[in-house]
Amino acid sequence: MTTTIEKAPRGGRGLALRPLAFALPAIALLALLAFISLLVGVSDVSVSTLLRLFSHNDDDMATQVLVASRVPRTLALLLAGSAMAVAGLLMQMLARNHYVEPTTIGTAESAGMGMLIGILWWPDMPVFGKMGLAAVFALAGTALFLAVLSRIRLRSALIVPLVGLVLSGVIESATTFIAYRFDLMQAARSWMTADFSAIVQGRYEMLWLSLGITVLAMLAADRFTVAGMGQEFATNLGLNYKRLVAQGVVVVAVVTASVIVTVGIIPFVGLIVPNLVRLVVGDNVRKSVLWVAWAGALMALCCDLIGRVVIAPYEVPIGTVMGVLGSAMFLALLLSRRKRMGG
Amino acid sequence: MSRSAISTVNRRQSLLQLGALVTLPWAAGSALAQQTLTVQQAGGAVQIPVKPKTILVFDLAALDCLRALGAEVKGVPEVVKFPPVLEQYASKDYTRIGSLFEPNYEVVKGLKPDVIIAGGRSAAKVAELAKIAPTLDLTVDNTQPVASAFKHLKILGEMVGNEAQAQTLIASMQADIDKLKALTGNKGTGLMVMTNGGKLSAYGAGSRFGMLHDVYGIPAANKDIKVAGHGQAISFEFILKTNPDWLFVLDRDAAIGREGASAAKLLDNPLVNATKAAKKKQIVYLNSANWYLLGNASPGSLHDDVTQLINAFSKA
Repeated sequence: MTTTIEKAPRGGRGLALRPLAFALPAIALLALLAFISLLVGVSDVSVSTLLRLFSHNDDDMATQVLVASRVPRTLALLLAGSAMAVAGLLMQMLARNHYVEPTTIGTAESAGMGMLIGILWWPDMPVFGKMGLAAVFALAGTALFLAVLSRIRLRSALIVPLVGLVLSGVIESATTFIAYRFDLMQAARSWMTADFSAIVQGRYEMLWLSLGITVLAMLAADRFTVAGMGQEFATNLGLNYKRLVAQGVVVVAVVTASVIVTVGIIPFVGLIVPNLVRLVVGDNVRKSVLWVAWAGALMALCCDLIGRVVIAPYEVPIGTVMGVLGSAMFLALLLSRRKRMGG
Repeated sequence: MSRSAISTVNRRQSLLQLGALVTLPWAAGSALAQQTLTVQQAGGAVQIPVKPKTILVFDLAALDCLRALGAEVKGVPEVVKFPPVLEQYASKDYTRIGSLFEPNYEVVKGLKPDVIIAGGRSAAKVAELAKIAPTLDLTVDNTQPVASAFKHLKILGEMVGNEAQAQTLIASMQADIDKLKALTGNKGTGLMVMTNGGKLSAYGAGSRFGMLHDVYGIPAANKDIKVAGHGQAISFEFILKTNPDWLFVLDRDAAIGREGASAAKLLDNPLVNATKAAKKKQIVYLNSANWYLLGNASPGSLHDDVTQLINAFSKA
């Protein structure tokens, strides 16, 4: 467990200026990528189409593509990327370990199992029902993980993610078994890998819900910082630790479920982004949460753009791109950390 | 199984029996009991008995062939829902011998089969099954699906001793195909997509659903779609850009459970609605079970599917 101890804030001026100096280019970079994301795709959408959109409503094909497909897809990427990254950050605070995230501890796998059960028993269920079911399962899976964790005495930094991986492996096998028995393997696989190619108007709005919940998590940032210091510490400070953990688990579960129902499991964002941000900003959730959301959105945009360009006019699902880039980045992160800490 | 040579072999008295076959087909019953048929297939030659008593079938297209040939089958795979053509096999009279992919070897062994028929999804298990009983691998060759379907019908017809019926079926399938082909040439281009868990993939000529272009003569709206087992992942924008006159949709979720609604819901969006296919109301929801599970390459499925397409094209 590597908790960076924050330096006490020095004068007010430095604090107020420094974030702004970083924030403006950061926002500009994200805006630029989002802009590129609007322009890249199978149909031709040009800058002039974009401008026309703001001037007057034109009913031509390019505008239609933009409104029905590009804008929703870009928004979905921003929302899902930032939501998964923030969910990862929260999970790391709750588990007090930097190597966990919803897709490695069973939250995502449980949500997937919920969706499978939904498909099996209530195939005509509306999308909100599916999400509800996935969220309930995700809740149960996350709670199970935390329960198992609380029973483990020697919690070395490596044991925690290992427990998570084992648990998510078990849950995934159970899901696979059910899917196999009912000939639903491919349907199950379709939400195991995230893919934004089918995102159009009317099929991504669920993700606004995750934005709302992400904002809630931001508001409770200080509490989660304290939670990251452990039960005794949090209780000493007068916090209801159990309730805080429960709230955190609900946030993580609902965010994960809404992302999985809409696009599928996005791996690595929740793992890498909070760790990268932590290297720069430190462990204070209030300071880092906006950066985590920003970097998550950025990473999702980049990976999806790569997937759209590599074999155009076909697509590589973002889950695959993220898997490749993410594992490389994670390795680099691990190795660099080892070096910093002297082996 | 490509380039298979079928030859009827009688080990003991080939000449005498050949004579019996020609002159007294109705009296040949008892003599034929020892007769075998040699079939060349991917794993080498296999000798299967003629008029076998206990037939186990893993491949649904082969099951449809045997149904059309009027042959008795003892065991069928476990499927969630049998396609309409094969509804009769949902009855408990037929022993369940495993899934489409994975045989239940104990059950298979216990039935003491005379012949096992596998292929396609169960092709990988042929070698293992062959240790129990002679096993036919009737995997359809996607590069020439019809020729391969006819070949399988011939083999099965010969096996169950009903070659005449096999020939009749082949002739009627060919007639169906010709009738459709005469309609498709000048009615515009087509694109085949499969929906699966809310995602889209495209299939082109030479693929597992390439029959639409290769055999039925529907011009492909996009000629560059690479052949891949699960198609090429595409977006709605791809459909709009390709802008086919006909959109053929296979709802994979429906193939294994329920029909229609979900693919139609998925495709009802501004991008698809702007295509020529949507404007002309030429989005055809294929009979997914027939196409997906039977490969549209067996007598019953092909007839149903061609009829559906003939109806669609004769309206256009």
